Amino acid sequence: MTTLTKSAGFGGYDAHQIASQAAQRRADYWMISGTLLMGCAVLGLIGLPLFFRGIWLQSQAAKAGLTMRPTIVTLIGYLVIIDSALNSIGWTLDLFAHHTLINRVLTTGWGAMFDGGYFWHYNELWLGGAGAPGEKAWEISLIPVLFCARMAAAIGLLQMKRWGQQWLIVTCWMGMIVWFGYNTNMTIFADVRYSHITFPVWGWWLYDIWYITPFLSLPYLHTVNREIFSD
Amino acid sequence: MSGSSTSDQDRKRKRAMIVFQIVIYSWILGTFLVQLYLKSISDW
Repeated sequence: MTTLTKSAGFGGYDAHQIASQAAQRRADYWMISGTLLMGCAVLGLIGLPLFFRGIWLQSQAAKAGLTMRPTIVTLIGYLVIIDSALNSIGWTLDLFAHHTLINRVLTTGWGAMFDGGYFWHYNELWLGGAGAPGEKAWEISLIPVLFCARMAAAIGLLQMKRWGQQWLIVTCWMGMIVWFGYNTNMTIFADVRYSHITFPVWGWWLYDIWYITPFLSLPYLHTVNREIFSD
Repeated sequence: MSGSSTSDQDRKRKRAMIVFQIVIYSWILGTFLVQLYLKSISDW
């Protein structure tokens, strides 16, 4: 972490802490706003510049000598929140709003282009929505168990809490199991997923590879000095 | 426990974690390659 070297003397440390907290909060307001918009998927392009403004504010404050959250922690934390939000919103709509007009257009449109599991027998199961084998079980189990826990862990990490770091490690490993299983499912039922769609195989991978990569943060989370996180 | 054995254990743990990650990512890459193979032999 960056430390202030300019403030010294009586009350210098307290002044430094107050200034650092205020600067971090200001940067976080921008990053939280950007993340909320990006987590809604369609508003992502509006959210991205807001997020970058927050990153810039944070780096400027660090350069000025204030004690700020490490950039890598900031990026991992917000990335995990966006990842969880995007997965949750898509799957929650498919689970609860599968008969709405917007969902019948957008989800089946997505299915027709990238993943036939969201086109094939859409709204024909008793639950409605995607009819791909196993998809509904993934949705029901992962939204409450994985993505909610992951989002909470990321918030804890951004607050520099020890439990946030520990739970992010736990949920990153959970995520690995999920991608291991989900990709195996995609491969076994490849005929359902990729048959007669616009961009078979590579289209899905191009879109989804970004959701798989956050687990590359595991080595960092395991090796970072735990003392920078508070109890 | 001596300092050197702790660091040795730590090193082994890290290595095991890296190997495990490589196995998992290899599997994921493997599923991609299998899917590409299936695409090449089907009329998708």
